Amino acid sequence: MRLYESVLIARQDISTTQVETLVDEFSAIITNGGGSIKKKEYWGLRSLAYRIKKNRKGHYVMLNIEADSATLTEYERIMGLNEDILRFMNIRIEEVSEEPSIMMQAKSERSERGGRYNNNNNADNASAEKTSEEA
Amino acid sequence: MTQLEITRSAVRRPFGRRRKSCPFSGPNAPKIDYKDTKLLGRFTSERGKIVPSRISAVSAKKQRELSTAIKRARFLALMPYVDM
Repeated sequence: MRLYESVLIARQDISTTQVETLVDEFSAIITNGGGSIKKKEYWGLRSLAYRIKKNRKGHYVMLNIEADSATLTEYERIMGLNEDILRFMNIRIEEVSEEPSIMMQAKSERSERGGRYNNNNNADNASAEKTSEEA
Repeated sequence: MTQLEITRSAVRRPFGRRRKSCPFSGPNAPKIDYKDTKLLGRFTSERGKIVPSRISAVSAKKQRELSTAIKRARFLALMPYVDM
């Protein structure tokens, strides 16, 4: 069993709840393979630096996973087949950091400044946190 | 090797330019992470190219780490490959 960090980008047109069901689907593959989800973060609908499959924005989700390589390969295969997933990257990490990643920190800073768009982000934030507690 | 460094510093000295130390070494140096686009952005040019270490004074080891981090960030569309 090894630790991995997985980031996936979902299509811009799907809703937050759809993203969550997608992520649950993928998490099930890991847990069925004897692994576990250590951390889950929803970074929100971020604008992409360049277009991917005609999308200018994407839902970013980061998972920290403990799994063996066979399970991870299966996880990657399923994700590659899913058309709602624009891109994913899984890298090996040595340890799962306890505190939220820099993305979440940056986002909370931004939402402090206020604004309509950021309030939406906050709602997403809250729901993401809730799911991570459940997991 | 050492000979070369001595002569180089001797040449530099009249202009009063000291070699800057690596921004990623030292006690409170930032950790290189592909998710930290703000930090990585400081080491890319306006066009999105990675700044050579001879200009940014990043050590060779950290420059390798930095370049993989930037490439990862590019792959995830957190940073541009080319920016106009």
